[in-house]
Amino acid sequence: MATTASTASATSVKTVSLTIDGKQVTVPDGTSIWDAARDNGINIPVLCHKPGLNPIGVCRACVVEIEKARVFAASCVRACENGMVVHTTNARLESSRRMLVELLLADHPSPCEKHKETHSCELELLAEKLGVRTPFMHRAATTATVTKDEQLPHDVSTWLFSKGADHSNPSIFIDHSACIVCDRCIRACTEVKHNNVIGRMQKGYATSISFDTNKPMGSSSCVNCGECMVSCPTGAITSREAAHTTLEGGKPLTVQEMMQIPIFKGISSEFLKRNVGGVVLRRYKKGEIICHEGEFGSTAFYILSGKCDVFINAPIGHVKSDKKEGNTGGLFGIFRKFSHSLAGRKENPREGENQARYIRIDGPVDLPYDNPIATLQATDLFGEMTCLNFLPRSATVRAAEDCEMLEMLRNVLQMLQKNKDFKKQLDKNYRERALTQHLRSVPVLSMLDEKFIDQLRHRVELEHFDAGEAIVKQNDPADAFYLIRVGCVRVSQKHPGGEMVLTYLGRGEYFGEMGLLKGGKRTASCTALDHVEVVKIKKADFDFMLSWYEGLREKFIQEADRRERATKLMVEHAPSVPLDDFLGQGLMHAQSLLLLDLEKCTRCDECVRACAQAHDGVTRLVREGLRFDRYLVPTSCRSCMDPLCMIGCPVGSIRRKESLEIIIEDWCIGCGLCSQQCPYGNISMHAFEVKVDDPDHPGSKRAMVKEKAVTCDLCTELQEPSCVYACPHDAAHRVNAREFFMAKKTS
Amino acid sequence: MVIAELHKIQHDHGYIPEKELYELSARLQMPVYELFGVASFYPGFRMTPPPRVEVLVCGDFPCHLRGCDKLRKEFEAMASDKKDEVHVKHVSCLGQCDRAPAFVINEHVYAGKSKEDAIAMVKEAIEGKKHEPMHFHGLKGPFLCDPYPSKSDHYGAVKELGKSGDAAGVIKKLKDAGLRGMGGAGFPTGVKWEAVKGCAGDQKYVVCNADECEVGTFKDREIMKNVPHLLVEGMVLAGLVTGADKGYIYIRHEYHDQIHVMDEEIERARQLGIVGENAAGSGKKFELQTFTSPGGYIQGEESALLEAIEGKRGQPRIKPPFPVFVGLWGKPTVINNVETLAYTPAILMKGPEGWKALGKQTTTVMDYEKDVAGHPVIEKWTTKPGGPVGGVKWIGVSGHVEKPGVFEVPMGTTYEEAIFTLAGGVSGGRKLKAFAPSGPSGGFLPAAMVGLSMDFNIMSNVRFRGGFTSMLGSGAIVAIAEGTDMVDLALNATRFFRNESCGKCVPCRVGSQKMVDTIFAVMDGRGTKEDIAVVDQLSDTLLMTSICGLGQVVPAPILSVLHFFKNEVDARIDKTRIGG
Repeated sequence: MATTASTASATSVKTVSLTIDGKQVTVPDGTSIWDAARDNGINIPVLCHKPGLNPIGVCRACVVEIEKARVFAASCVRACENGMVVHTTNARLESSRRMLVELLLADHPSPCEKHKETHSCELELLAEKLGVRTPFMHRAATTATVTKDEQLPHDVSTWLFSKGADHSNPSIFIDHSACIVCDRCIRACTEVKHNNVIGRMQKGYATSISFDTNKPMGSSSCVNCGECMVSCPTGAITSREAAHTTLEGGKPLTVQEMMQIPIFKGISSEFLKRNVGGVVLRRYKKGEIICHEGEFGSTAFYILSGKCDVFINAPIGHVKSDKKEGNTGGLFGIFRKFSHSLAGRKENPREGENQARYIRIDGPVDLPYDNPIATLQATDLFGEMTCLNFLPRSATVRAAEDCEMLEMLRNVLQMLQKNKDFKKQLDKNYRERALTQHLRSVPVLSMLDEKFIDQLRHRVELEHFDAGEAIVKQNDPADAFYLIRVGCVRVSQKHPGGEMVLTYLGRGEYFGEMGLLKGGKRTASCTALDHVEVVKIKKADFDFMLSWYEGLREKFIQEADRRERATKLMVEHAPSVPLDDFLGQGLMHAQSLLLLDLEKCTRCDECVRACAQAHDGVTRLVREGLRFDRYLVPTSCRSCMDPLCMIGCPVGSIRRKESLEIIIEDWCIGCGLCSQQCPYGNISMHAFEVKVDDPDHPGSKRAMVKEKAVTCDLCTELQEPSCVYACPHDAAHRVNAREFFMAKKTS
Repeated sequence: MVIAELHKIQHDHGYIPEKELYELSARLQMPVYELFGVASFYPGFRMTPPPRVEVLVCGDFPCHLRGCDKLRKEFEAMASDKKDEVHVKHVSCLGQCDRAPAFVINEHVYAGKSKEDAIAMVKEAIEGKKHEPMHFHGLKGPFLCDPYPSKSDHYGAVKELGKSGDAAGVIKKLKDAGLRGMGGAGFPTGVKWEAVKGCAGDQKYVVCNADECEVGTFKDREIMKNVPHLLVEGMVLAGLVTGADKGYIYIRHEYHDQIHVMDEEIERARQLGIVGENAAGSGKKFELQTFTSPGGYIQGEESALLEAIEGKRGQPRIKPPFPVFVGLWGKPTVINNVETLAYTPAILMKGPEGWKALGKQTTTVMDYEKDVAGHPVIEKWTTKPGGPVGGVKWIGVSGHVEKPGVFEVPMGTTYEEAIFTLAGGVSGGRKLKAFAPSGPSGGFLPAAMVGLSMDFNIMSNVRFRGGFTSMLGSGAIVAIAEGTDMVDLALNATRFFRNESCGKCVPCRVGSQKMVDTIFAVMDGRGTKEDIAVVDQLSDTLLMTSICGLGQVVPAPILSVLHFFKNEVDARIDKTRIGG
């Protein structure tokens, strides 16, 4: 499920009014007494409940007295009702609470592992708070009594305290004697992580947690996600060793230091302990470079103080090919050749080019196309996508003044992202600073005015999805419009035989308008490919926006029509043979496939030379690849049905046009990710020597080599691709894979 | 149906092999941890291969009073040189208290055997003999609660309802007759049915709680055996009145005969057109089946019972919501005890007045004198007339009586009549020392109170230490003769609760064990005055914070002993020790 970070719903909710400790309180219907009390500054002690988990009411520490009720009620599970009179504390309640803690403490090794190390065992802390000391229970008698007990319903060997410790997992240590069977780990494992490993076994006093079929944790299906450990209130589940990954340089933070920093507030010390070394404090002098665009990285930065400039250093422009004829004396006389240069969209507009005014980057701001630079400040987080999805840096960041920041690894960032306060702050930054530009960066929404966006600012919902999670499903009712903040979304449609990928969308792109405009049902499924965050504009707000701005509906419809045409074209190209079979053969993805007829080919490599000569000596063709029947499929862009190259471009500069051809937008930073992603090796990096701002000497320029991604352009400027033209044996052909092979099959 | 699948695996393999759990997990698309959690929860499932001979001896107090401990020691001695292949273990109450001591040899329940016969049987079993299952005779009729003179008259009430469709009329009659839940809680049945009838929704259920597992309770065993048609008719009535179209009779797995009898009666009712597509000519569907419990006293808690039918760990749900609104599979559900349902045909056939006329004049509590410490002076106990009460009650009398058994008595009958007249008095010519009116849950009352009448209100006004009260409960009367150690009895009863706790909530899971430990310490002569303070404190926590009734009544045995037989506790307190 997606989690809603913050909602400001206009619809009125039903409320109930009650009295808690003499205070008149009104809360939405369905609120638990525990939550209602907390919202009113009354903290009821609890062990088995934790905000974010579904309450189950088993520890009973949170019991309250409801007037006229026969017995106490667990406030975490009991919903508020109109007219209820609730007391959260009185002598009888406190005495019960102390007894419950004493009962648990009687079997608990005090101090447990957790308390020994971080003084944070929730049971022992509650005992200290309530003044419960050594339990009076016949502790020493327990083991003796039970083993002497003639009436044991179970074998003594399975009795709880004989279960003891489980050292089988290399990173997580289980101490059953410290377990209070609060089920928090069970819910963490099943409800939070859906790993479904931990459960309760046996019954009564013998009840304990168990893994799968009571296997040692190390040989169970546990994936070591650590969620159980984070959720455990006591030392029953602890980490066996401290952090393994350490960031070099900087000043590593200790658990105590982390706990002092507000963004780590509320995070289990157990997890902080595990991540020591995964976050370092770095100080940068004014002008120092923090990260370079295009570099691969695995960390994110959180600014504690100071300001930074974030900018794109690469020249904004694409590789322009100009036909030039010249006698270069090749075997066949005149070779056709291109000259290559960089050109921006103003000098050399290309068909289907994106006209966006902002370039999306991996930070809380977007950069203007015309002057790609912006400022980051304290409480900003950048490098999130690099960190979570291991993408290259999308921009260069330079200290604009002396700065202090935290550099963190993925595990630390993920831990922070679970922290509600931190997330809230990021969302607030986003709503206040980035939402405006982000909305306006969508070409059709470029005219939204400040006043309107102000209205929208707190009405939009910020949601996140994990990799593989469906954001919308085809044929579901359309209820919102989505703008992507972070991550990559796959848009796909069901077709007989399988799911067809229509496109991949990245930061700054949007989806969901088709369903809203046409028929009210989702026309395609949109799935998160990695960690995805979206801005959700609900249907009512979207409709209001369309009615507010004259002509906006038409613009959206035009855009929707364009997308529909592209889909139709794709479907027409789609094979009539079962899609699964077709997809099974990688080459069948090809819309335009270069084939070498091996019966005719003499392996003279003229095609490769022709391609290189045509493209400044950089060949986009290698005479290697899959064989199919008597054909060789050399590597060259196949304009795939599922264009994997588009996944993860940090600046979103690779895109598919309506014609299905891949286009590299002007703001390619030359990181080479698409080139690596292409399963057929068909995207090459074309190097240019350019003059750019010298980051080390602001204001001056220096020459450097910058790369730009290029794909086979099918030599569109020419009548026929150079490679085909150059083949002296009529062995090279450009074909539509499906038509070609279907024809072969039937003939 | 997870439980049915597990029953099948156990039937095929003798236990539940891990491999089968993984296969079931794949088949049902359920995580294996969940299936393991369910299978390991129920005493009816075993996770390891059974030994060649397994002897289970009931150890709860009606059997305890009749020498089960000695018998068990004999069995253990016989198996002492064959511990790998012969296991002798404790088992919770088997519902054969009137034939105590009861025991199990390789899944078959035996009871009413002399000590010599029992020893001979176990000896034979160890030698390899397979014993036939034991069958028991029913009771002699006619029964007050059966309004039908002959078999051909059966199902008259539900046929009438099928014709008239007057559901509201049925509810009114149940209310006018004052029928209350006979499982122990005493909730007005008419109100319950009306609530379910009033619930919106097209799917509702009727569930009969025939999971009779409380120590000393075995009357439903005889109701099902002797008047099964009344239970089936009550189920169909509940279904037609509330709009439910499916019913389950949830029976404890040790009641093989009763499961068989009920299955046969359901089939007979189907042949007669009472159960099925057009139930009793009403034009409405009502399907009915038995459900074999995988075991455990806690399944008698209504919401835990629903969890078991749903194939989950049988842990009670947190209420509200109550099962009448959110019951089986989240749907409105009537849950009634066997006895409650079996009374409904008579109420409709005889009319509320006719039903009430079956009851008696009662005798009730008169204030008793207290000594300076506030403890009752038992000799000064007196009773007074308490007015009329209607209907009948099936009771089980066991313990130290000459003729233990199940009896159908007019409501308002005194415990004295039950013990001395019906059950033939205290065995061995001894004096009565105490009695338990409702197994372990109603506490142990002194013999001076034996003149009290069986009535919900009268019994819930009998108060003892810690604000606890006794109860009519399920009518599980256990007589206790002079010379019985009351602390030992309280320990025995508390162990039962400890053994049967589901473990869901902290007070009951841990508190019941600590209660056993503490009483054990007192028994052992290690107890101190502070231990008694701990018992009081722990009792209040159990009462006020436990999720369900089991946890709430854990303290009843020891508190009643501390109240009425305090001298026996005091005599054991070690006055030389202070603190723990």
